[in-house]
Amino acid sequence: MKHAIELTINGKCYQIEVEPEERLLDVLRDRLGLIGAKEGCSTGDCGACTVLMNGQAVTSCMILAVAVDGADITTIEGLEKDGEIHPLQKAFIEEGAVQCGYCTPGMILSALALLKENPEPSDDEIRRALAGNLCRCTGYTRIIAAVKAGAERMKNHG
Amino acid sequence: MDDQKAYAIVGHSMLRPDAREKVRGRAVYVADFRLPGMLFARVLWSDRPHARILHIDTRQALDLPGVYTVVTADDAPNTRYGVYLKDQLIFARGKVRHIGEPVAAVAAESEAIAEKAIEKIVVQYEELPAIFEPIEAMKPGAPLIHPDLESYEATYPKIVKGNVCLYTRLSMGDTEKGFEDADYVFEDTFKTQPMYQGYLEPRGAVASFDFNDKLTVWTSNQQILVCQAELATALEMPMTQVRVIGTAIGGAFGGKLKTSVEPIAALLAKKSGRPVRLVLTREEDFIASRARAPYILRLKTGVKANGKITAKSVELIADCGGYSDHVVGTMGLAVSFSQGPYKIPNAEAKGYCVYTNNPNYSCMRAYGVHQMCFATESQMDIIASKIGMDPAEFRRRNLAEDGDVLVTTQPLRSVTVDQTMAQVLKACHWEEKRKASKQRGVKNFYGIGMANTILNMGLLSSAAIVKINEDGTASVLTGAVDLGTGNHTALAQIAAEELGMKPNDVNIAAVDSDSSPYDLGQIASRTIFDCGNAIKLAANDARRQLFATADEVLGAEGRELRASEGNVYVRDEPDKKISIRDLMGYRLYFKGGPIIGRAGWLGKPGFDHLVGEGYPQPPSVTFVFGTHVAEVEVDVGTGQVKVERITAAHDVGRAINPLGVAAQIEGGVVQGMGYALYEEMQIHEGVVQNPDFLNYRMPTILDAPEIVPIILEIPEEYGPFGAKGIGEPTNMGPPPAIANAIYNAVGVRVKELPITPERLLHALDDKKTREA
Ligand code: FES
Ligand code: FES
Repeated sequence: MKHAIELTINGKCYQIEVEPEERLLDVLRDRLGLIGAKEGCSTGDCGACTVLMNGQAVTSCMILAVAVDGADITTIEGLEKDGEIHPLQKAFIEEGAVQCGYCTPGMILSALALLKENPEPSDDEIRRALAGNLCRCTGYTRIIAAVKAGAERMKNHG
Repeated sequence: MDDQKAYAIVGHSMLRPDAREKVRGRAVYVADFRLPGMLFARVLWSDRPHARILHIDTRQALDLPGVYTVVTADDAPNTRYGVYLKDQLIFARGKVRHIGEPVAAVAAESEAIAEKAIEKIVVQYEELPAIFEPIEAMKPGAPLIHPDLESYEATYPKIVKGNVCLYTRLSMGDTEKGFEDADYVFEDTFKTQPMYQGYLEPRGAVASFDFNDKLTVWTSNQQILVCQAELATALEMPMTQVRVIGTAIGGAFGGKLKTSVEPIAALLAKKSGRPVRLVLTREEDFIASRARAPYILRLKTGVKANGKITAKSVELIADCGGYSDHVVGTMGLAVSFSQGPYKIPNAEAKGYCVYTNNPNYSCMRAYGVHQMCFATESQMDIIASKIGMDPAEFRRRNLAEDGDVLVTTQPLRSVTVDQTMAQVLKACHWEEKRKASKQRGVKNFYGIGMANTILNMGLLSSAAIVKINEDGTASVLTGAVDLGTGNHTALAQIAAEELGMKPNDVNIAAVDSDSSPYDLGQIASRTIFDCGNAIKLAANDARRQLFATADEVLGAEGRELRASEGNVYVRDEPDKKISIRDLMGYRLYFKGGPIIGRAGWLGKPGFDHLVGEGYPQPPSVTFVFGTHVAEVEVDVGTGQVKVERITAAHDVGRAINPLGVAAQIEGGVVQGMGYALYEEMQIHEGVVQNPDFLNYRMPTILDAPEIVPIILEIPEEYGPFGAKGIGEPTNMGPPPAIANAIYNAVGVRVKELPITPERLLHALDDKKTREA
């Protein structure tokens, strides 16, 4: 039995018919081609599939599509404005916080959710906000640096 | 040696061009890949550790709407393949040897349908006696896992018996006499665990056949050209009919070698006539993993009262699980480096690789030297403490130097461990901190420990082609993929430096076995060293051709030419210059024709014969050294260990991209810390008990310690611009350094990894009982 849902993704409104077992991650990746959300574990443990739902960072592998009716979703693809990448994305590049890149979209979105609530987080606050995002490549040092640099940049961008 | 200041590009930190698409979520990994008409695959894995296959019934699966095809061993050639020992098949034939061995696979319209079909396949098994302990498996009369082992083809002088698929023995000097001369003899046994590589992108591949029966495979493999060759062998096809293309890779760390999912996707694509995508779930990736093999390491070391080591003998036993895979190779390196970076005149090393019905183990970052390093460096501290010497001083008295000989009888060169040690100890204030009081509060204790590392550098062949384009840029064809380490950025720097171009004017082409020249792969920390050498030589070949034309066009009459920022000029008369773009115009439309620079590279060690019995490895070209110091806080109430800081000094010869080197050190250190403290694939009767990221605990950002990378640059004669690779050694230091720091903090020695709170509490209890 299909369900009709309506939701906003990256500022665009979508009406979609979904299967009861379909996950938000499947809708994004398989139906809309928004491949920036990655599937790393399917059990909510790695954070690679993180997106923003009504401003909160959520693991989209754990959310059924039927449950996002009416929600406002932001994926990594939604961060660019007028062809310009977001200051936080820029900070990840410049701080060398990207290696294989598989964790990167989720990491950036978790960090963004934090910075929206807390524009000047301490190291500890950054660590707590990103505790659900695994990265096997970087050792995390540069990710913390990137979030701090991103916070600075975001202040300057108003 | 060249002066670093002379380099415009090499040695300067560069941001990675690929980061741009990665932060935007645009990089295309295997799971992001779609082809028209593509089907989705799922695999039926053996759920028995050891069983005869009586019958496989696939009819009900095939009857499901949406299912296109089912494949089993009947659809695959009966050709065994493998990297060291040809013991493997695409699908289990006749019997299964471990849980997670592929038995059948389905291609269907969706993953959900394929999954349902898998559940409908009925396999009738007859259980066979299974064996899970390598020591049991070595005993006479143990059930044979590969009864045909004797007849398997191997790339090494095979000495096999029962379930032992590799026996090797190396020796040097007179070990017996060495032990007699010793004032003390230490015997310790260490154990390491199966470690999962934990790359965030699960393994996957897309396969497609064209109308001429040519196979194309897209994969996130770390050995694209080796994958091509192995696919050709496994499928009994000529290599010309097998094309393998590298996609973006979400981490590998030794877990995406040779072939794994690729032949399955290929067989499904062949039988269904459609492109097929097979991406493992995380659980499958665990169950069918190629984890770092667990080792048992028995060490015996003789020492004089003055701290000089007189002899060392080791006996290593590695559990292969159901198939030998890379375990045989890891043993080769483990025995080679069984002395550590120390001068030990009398040495013996024995290694056994043993089949069991555990999962198919293999290798990970730093191969078998990783396991060996934990044992050696732990025992160094055990000895130092018994003879009442500072562990740094004890190591200093035994440090190897150039010309000292490994147990393989290969002489060491480029030994710089004295310098990595000196730098790191100074940076972390070793002397003061060792003496400082340990107790912090009631239950917490501070400790500091160290470990040295040694690893081989340079492994077999690479090649490169450099094309100079008409706009004055260059494209580099190489078989090297970027695992995520940023090696393409550094390789572009090498080419740009040699060509006198801007780094952004050099493109490292995507790897495609149809056009990329041979490369052994992104393994063994070899990319910067071996591929870097090939690329430097090929760029030099292209430059030579450019200069010949420039000489003519500029009227330089043989005077020395230079190239920089895309221009070629006369060294003594820099105004006499021409752009590479204009030179190419001249070449393409007037004289000379297109420019292709090319080179093949096979690092030649200054040593060309192998010694010992049953030894499976080629000799090293050169060696790479490092030292780690770990600082920890131990809570004796909970057994928790908090790693506060790791100071890691590595001699990289030359840091082509210093930013990239520091990033490698940081990532490697945290992985090593995971191995030391948390990570273990728990196997019970062949079943992985924790096949998910909740129960297989990798370090999170909460665990990440402060990391102080110290990069030493002592140019290596054989390295491109003096560089050595650094991917693996960064991962070796933390386990022993942390174990030694724990001992320093609370006086207990844990010889089995990981050092979990339970193990540590147990050891603390033992100590209390002994003292009481
Ligand atoms: S894929 Fe969703 S948390 Fe890992
Ligand atoms: S960059 Fe590879 S997992 Fe984070």
